[in-house]
Amino acid sequence: MTKLSKLAADVALLWDNYSGAYLNGVRNTLLLALVATAIGCLIGLICGILQTIPCSRYDPPLKRFFLGLLRILIRIYVEVFRGTPMVLQAVFIFYGLPYFTDNAMRFSSVWAAAILIVSINTGAYMAESVRGGIISIDRGQTEGAMAIGMTHVQTMTHVILPQALRNIMPQIGNNFIINVKDTSVMFIISFTEFFAFHRYITGVNNMYFPSAAIEMIGYLCMTLVASFLLRWIEKKMDGADNYELVQNDSLTLTAGTYTHPTRGTPFDESNRVRAEEGGVSHG
Amino acid sequence: MDETILQIRHLSKSFGSHLVLRDIDFTVSRGDVTSIIGSSGSGKSTLLRCINLLEQPSSGEILYHGKNVTGRGFRASTYRAQVGMVFQSFNLFGNMSVLENCVVGQRKVLRRGREEATEHALAFLDKVGMAPYIHARPRQLSGGQKQRVAIARALAMDPEVLLFDEPTSALDPEMVGEVLGVMQTLAGEGTTMLVVTHEMAFARDISTRVVYMNNGLICEDGSPEEIFRSPKRQETKDFLARFRRVENP
Repeated sequence: MTKLSKLAADVALLWDNYSGAYLNGVRNTLLLALVATAIGCLIGLICGILQTIPCSRYDPPLKRFFLGLLRILIRIYVEVFRGTPMVLQAVFIFYGLPYFTDNAMRFSSVWAAAILIVSINTGAYMAESVRGGIISIDRGQTEGAMAIGMTHVQTMTHVILPQALRNIMPQIGNNFIINVKDTSVMFIISFTEFFAFHRYITGVNNMYFPSAAIEMIGYLCMTLVASFLLRWIEKKMDGADNYELVQNDSLTLTAGTYTHPTRGTPFDESNRVRAEEGGVSHG
Repeated sequence: MDETILQIRHLSKSFGSHLVLRDIDFTVSRGDVTSIIGSSGSGKSTLLRCINLLEQPSSGEILYHGKNVTGRGFRASTYRAQVGMVFQSFNLFGNMSVLENCVVGQRKVLRRGREEATEHALAFLDKVGMAPYIHARPRQLSGGQKQRVAIARALAMDPEVLLFDEPTSALDPEMVGEVLGVMQTLAGEGTTMLVVTHEMAFARDISTRVVYMNNGLICEDGSPEEIFRSPKRQETKDFLARFRRVENP
């Protein structure tokens, strides 16, 4: 018990002195994770869409060649960035750019470097998630859209992608939460996110454990809020569980100017009513 | 009025080495209600899917008002908009309400304005008895209701021909009637329809023409009376006998 109260006192002490630094770290972490996840999702979306462009043996050879090339390039990108640690990618890109250009090109800000690295990393994972999301949509949806004359682009934007995006929402959430935590490796290029401030603060006063406690609670708070928000967004995307029946009266008003054929089917209530009333909407 | 809409010439389709359609010749005229019957695997559905270019024919021509739609440089999407299709598994868009399902094609493909498209969609939803359900999502509807919405969606595009690919095969028996009822109404109004079906009563009583397919070939083609009363080919007799055994045991 005394240990716990000592921890509480230490945490309070740290918080009193460094709350600004910790909060600054939280802000940087969240900003980086948000921006990089958004850009990463965009990269993933583009890669996923490009990879699922239909290609049949009836297509012209040039189209088939370019689609094949595109698929190979995306595959290489995914495998390289998914298969190497992000901390190494950070070093590789951040120091590699000036190395290869003899210092002619370098990252002007550590923010730009961090966003770039986390984005392309997230993009590699999302490319596969989006591809999976698109091919998980029943083939019938595509056929239904094509049967009413929609082009591939229209089918994708209006029918397939809205449903695929709904299905990969949990995956987007996963990536965001992973990014909140994994951006901590960006200290390697001296990006000052939440964990970097832990290193600075403990470097001054050696209070490793109390500071780690603050960090643990901080990260957990960020990820819990994120999970909660993501669940809420998913629910919103699903729409209402129930629906309202529309009364025939209001419908007749909306569709009143259309000329109906007088015949109706046995279950065609409004047609029957209209016929009985002497064809109100036919004139 | 005997205006030819579709003319299918020497159409063949193979999946790998498996020949599904062999040299099909077939014409659809305005006002025809053609039922295509035959046992499973006889190529009925493939024929319909080839007509709508959901499957690319291996050889042969499909002429729509005299123009070959299988040739290069022909926009399949423009053609498909004029040939409506109703599927066995409904294929309503899961991310849209009933009304949006019937509006989206008109807006994006026919470039109609929102108001006009909505009005048009409502008229057809009303016709199939689904107008009260415009705010429902497909997942909230029964099979029969979904199929009626799918018919309204196809009709809203003002197609010249409606293709039905076993529209009642995925339905519970008590829902078959409501869909057939809608189709009967459409047939009565002179809609040109091409129906792949296992509903012999529909083929016999409602269609104006019956095509019996067997093994990728059109085996017999004639009026319902000819096919059902006095089939010429032995295969047709055998096929129909199987149904009689079930219907009148």
